Amino acid sequence: MKVRLKNIGKKYEGREEFTIRNIDLEIEDKEFCVILGPSGCGKTTLLRMIAGLNSITEGDLLFGDMRVNKVPSKDRDIAMVFQSYALYPHMTVYENMAFSLSMRKERKKIIHDRVMEAAEVLQIKDYLYSKPSDISGGQRQRVALGRAMVRKPSVFLMDEPLSNLDAKLREHMRVELVRLHKQLGTTSIYVTHDQTEAMTMASKIVLMNDGIIQQSGKPDDFYHRPNNMFVAKFIGSPTINLVKGKIIRGKFVSDDGEVSITPKANDKFALDKFEGKEVTVGIRPERFISRSDLSDTLTCVIDVVEMLGKEKILYAKTKTGQELIISTPGHYVFEDGSEHTFGFDVDALHFFDSESGRRIN
Amino acid sequence: MGLFKKKNELYLSDKQPLTIMGVIMLILSYIVLCTWAFAIIWPLYQMVVSAFNGLQGQYLMLNRKFEFSFRHFEYLFTETLFLKWVVNTIFIAVSTAVLVLVFVSFTGFAYSRYRFKGRKASLMAVMLIQTIPAFAGITAYFTMHSIISALVPAFSRQMMLILIYSGGGIAGNTFILKGYIDSISTELDDAAKIDGCSSMKVYRLIIMPIAKPMLAIIALWSFIGPFMDYLLPRVLLTNPEDYTLAAGLFTLINDFRTLNQPAFAAGGLLTAVPIVVMFAILQKQLVSGLAKGSVKG
Repeated sequence: MKVRLKNIGKKYEGREEFTIRNIDLEIEDKEFCVILGPSGCGKTTLLRMIAGLNSITEGDLLFGDMRVNKVPSKDRDIAMVFQSYALYPHMTVYENMAFSLSMRKERKKIIHDRVMEAAEVLQIKDYLYSKPSDISGGQRQRVALGRAMVRKPSVFLMDEPLSNLDAKLREHMRVELVRLHKQLGTTSIYVTHDQTEAMTMASKIVLMNDGIIQQSGKPDDFYHRPNNMFVAKFIGSPTINLVKGKIIRGKFVSDDGEVSITPKANDKFALDKFEGKEVTVGIRPERFISRSDLSDTLTCVIDVVEMLGKEKILYAKTKTGQELIISTPGHYVFEDGSEHTFGFDVDALHFFDSESGRRIN
Repeated sequence: MGLFKKKNELYLSDKQPLTIMGVIMLILSYIVLCTWAFAIIWPLYQMVVSAFNGLQGQYLMLNRKFEFSFRHFEYLFTETLFLKWVVNTIFIAVSTAVLVLVFVSFTGFAYSRYRFKGRKASLMAVMLIQTIPAFAGITAYFTMHSIISALVPAFSRQMMLILIYSGGGIAGNTFILKGYIDSISTELDDAAKIDGCSSMKVYRLIIMPIAKPMLAIIALWSFIGPFMDYLLPRVLLTNPEDYTLAAGLFTLINDFRTLNQPAFAAGGLLTAVPIVVMFAILQKQLVSGLAKGSVKG
């Protein structure tokens, strides 16, 4: 089912300011939409509004063509997986999964078939009759998923479901969730603060901050064409390098004069309007080049080398103290304290207006 | 053999070995505890012995010979209104427990889960009113009873007593249950709501089963209350037929016409029976830790 948010806003009782406002969003049928953002940005509020657990102060929420602002959660045909799983502790796994259907007075036979079907998919058949307290975290996670699945809802909501799992299991469940989504084909809305989860799972990412949507679109766009400085900084690990400077005669010159870059022809055109104005350039750590035939270079001293195996992360400083993070293939040799010269991949430069933070090129 | 001996000598405790001072303190604390235990057990022992001692007369005499008999129990059942008192007390206790449970369920859940105007103020008010002893309102109770019974003649003094007990119980236990429900994740409520529960069903199907240990304790205390209280029934109830156990049994030791101390001891012994039975019934529910594993582990 298609989910549309039109100019949605939320103001909590007893608060002066709106927590989120002017949210416009369209989530297509069968899409896996990840709402991403730092903590306190209103992403969980948004999800809870879609679920009907929080009221909608202004705007319209549409499921398909129906306005559901005032429809109680139980009639919205949704299922939700909570961060803490929220399994009913006094019921067995089977009862937990059957609960929503039995509340809807389904026939016993149908309930049993559905529970068994979900248990089969999630491989939890072996402990259907254990209590949630007797099974491990990963298993509880599956049960929580199963409980949401048996309903066959038209929208699947997930609120940071993987945050309580250990790193290995999280990696595994990530793939499994994507597989499950492909298999079920249900519209899914997934809230997380983890950019890796968002980048790997989503077919559409919505990045929120300060109660507004910073950018929405495909994961690829987020990395290669961030809308503004916040998005550029939030996505990507290690973090993007941002250097403040000015455009002087079509060239970018940093404030300390250490870095000067000649942008490529396309960017130059966009940068014309910013001649003499404050501009910030962003470059991803892996887009530094070390070759001898480069015109624009920068010399820096390597402070710390982090060895990650397939790559080395260099924490470097220029003479004036500008910090840079550079990622290089793991087999290159770098010594702490040694001096190196790097060039820039001009195809991968992001120019932002320093004042508004918006993307220029 | 040597190997086994070595095993016995291993120091397995996680605590540091005791020093001499430690040993002395340990002995001292055992002495204190034993004295204390003796102070509690000795009178109880005397009561049990006297209740079964056929040689006891109207007054309890210690250090007399013992002859096993059910004479005092017989006296209790035939000569006094003991059975009536038991029925009265159980009626009052059960009604009180039920009333308290029902109301506390509502109030505790509402105070824990809903935000409304005057929530804090009313909670504080309930708390403050708690500090005034129930007996202080005795004149008000009399007036209330006479007004209500004028309108509804069926409203007996026992019912007044039930209302007083449950009123006090509801106020105090609201706090306890609110605290307990506060510790249950609200995500469970959310999950239940999405699964199709109304607020009533959320409480009945999800919260109540989890809060069972606390509800059992509340029920037990509300049940025991009427067994323990002497003052209110003594003042409010005027007819011996209406007496509760505490008020009724007291006539056996303070009224010269009905004085029979061994029978009092026997009655006291039997009073424990309903409470013990109640305890046995609720014991399964009293196991806590049920909420474990509902959320993350």
